[in-house]
Amino acid sequence: MLLEYLKQLRKLLNFVTPPILVLLVLFSVWEFSVRISGIAEYMLPAPSVIIMQIISNLPDYAYDTGVTLIEAIGGFVLGVIIAMLGAVIMYQSRILERGLLPVAVLIKVTPIIAIAPLFVIWLGFGLIPKVLIAAIITFFPVLVNCLAGMRATSSDITDLLKSLNASRIEIMFKASIPSSYPYLFAAFKIAIPLSVIGAVVGEWFSGDKGLGSVIIRAHYNLDMPELFGAVFILGFVGILLTGMVWYLEKHILFWHDSQKNQDEFL
Amino acid sequence: MDKFMSPIFVIMIAVIIGCAAHDSNVGIPEVDEVVFMAGYKPQANLPFVGVYVADTNGYFEDQGLRVDIKHASAGEHVKLLLAGDVQFSTSDAGSVMKQVSSSGAPIIAIALIGQKGQQGYMSLATSNINTLEDWEGKTLGYKISLPSDYLAMIEAENVVRAQIKEVSVGFDPRILTEGKVDILAVFKSNEPDTIRSLGFDVKVWDPFEYGVPTLGLTYITTVDYSENNPDIVRRFLKATLRGIQFAIDNPDSALDIVEEFAPGSNREHQAFMLETEIKDARSSYTDNKGIGVMSDDQWKSLYEHLLEYEALDKPFEYRDSFNSKFVDSIYDSGSLP
Repeated sequence: MLLEYLKQLRKLLNFVTPPILVLLVLFSVWEFSVRISGIAEYMLPAPSVIIMQIISNLPDYAYDTGVTLIEAIGGFVLGVIIAMLGAVIMYQSRILERGLLPVAVLIKVTPIIAIAPLFVIWLGFGLIPKVLIAAIITFFPVLVNCLAGMRATSSDITDLLKSLNASRIEIMFKASIPSSYPYLFAAFKIAIPLSVIGAVVGEWFSGDKGLGSVIIRAHYNLDMPELFGAVFILGFVGILLTGMVWYLEKHILFWHDSQKNQDEFL
Repeated sequence: MDKFMSPIFVIMIAVIIGCAAHDSNVGIPEVDEVVFMAGYKPQANLPFVGVYVADTNGYFEDQGLRVDIKHASAGEHVKLLLAGDVQFSTSDAGSVMKQVSSSGAPIIAIALIGQKGQQGYMSLATSNINTLEDWEGKTLGYKISLPSDYLAMIEAENVVRAQIKEVSVGFDPRILTEGKVDILAVFKSNEPDTIRSLGFDVKVWDPFEYGVPTLGLTYITTVDYSENNPDIVRRFLKATLRGIQFAIDNPDSALDIVEEFAPGSNREHQAFMLETEIKDARSSYTDNKGIGVMSDDQWKSLYEHLLEYEALDKPFEYRDSFNSKFVDSIYDSGSLP
């Protein structure tokens, strides 16, 4: 029992030590540079100042982080659902794909900053506009990867299913959708940090809650420790969410070749 | 000429030519180059107009200045000022105080152009909101932070704040016309005209009229720059205040100049902005002393107001936010050139 525990601990240490070391080196260089150059706090605060800022305002930051997380995850889930539905529809017909894909590209290239104020006007100041913005940002990479994954289904499998008189829908559910999983997880790793950015952008345009609101308020007051405090937390949230996707991928796609060389700890 | 004398002769000639060249520069005044960054896009905000006019009419040249005029698109002007990339900019007096208070940023206001605050509140004329008491039960939209002048205004009129729903709505005024809010915090010289141009009649509420001490846009620089280059600061102000005086006396010509800096802008809207800001730039105090002047009392009142309504993080020496000696020295030595 103890041996197993120690083994797990060693795996955990092996897993977390490299990124922690890199961050430590990065922060040390930053801290040292700021102190040596004497750069003012309102231009670039030292990491120690930022960390103290977070610690001394932890309840406020925790609340704002919670708000942003809810918006980001809500947007991510909504974006993934719409993207997967879109991919399934496009997979059914090349004509539909040719018709719908330009619309998806149009949504992708529309500057979110241009339409975000309209979302507030149409949908109010609550959660919905922020969730929608996060969903829009999340949607495209998931759609494209899901479709690519479905199209990459092995012809051996589809031929086998056809020989067994499987219907088109059965082939899609039994072969094409499972074939898209590795592609989907690759998209999720891109989309989940994007959903956090989407929520933050949404908060810039309305509401006084969430890390985006903290950033914009601190920007106008030149309060760089407060601003960087929010940025640090956003970075941490992004890493955490992406790590969760890696973890889920490892456990859901354990059968796939792509997972054979993954970290054991995951 | 023998071998000994010839090098001496050459050196003498070189010295004479050098002296002549030096003397020929005496009559040309030295030109100082500075960067001015307006706090927003090109438009007829009065402090911007002062710079545009000074540049176009040669007032900067008269003061031996070459001014590179730039515009901030995302509030980066103060950071660039602090970084030394920009020497002069504009900022709202209240923002200067908040920035000095919260971060200790060494910026100072060197002239106060808006003798009244820029911010007001707007409701649709059809909304039947006629007095401040009517705000109870309504929704107020504000841009980023809850404005302290709103809090002072409703307190002055004994309006129950708990009965007003307050929401941060960003910068798009259509939130009012779409009925998402009943009252909207606005820049008096901007959104009321924008909304009127959409076909809505509006009522504007000015906190100043309720006795709230508000101040508007200022010219700003850094403490270091003002201490090391007092003459340039004075010359910059001389030229820009002359530009503002020109705009007050010749608004149509000033608008022509604005159009050169803001091509494609709506002239009627710019005219509204200029007219509103000229009104707010004048008071009995400026009529006696001159445009851009500021007093310790004005800043002290603003400081006490911001402190009372918790718009400042902590108490600080409010005199660190402004320095009136430059603008005073211009008027002490007579009127503008």
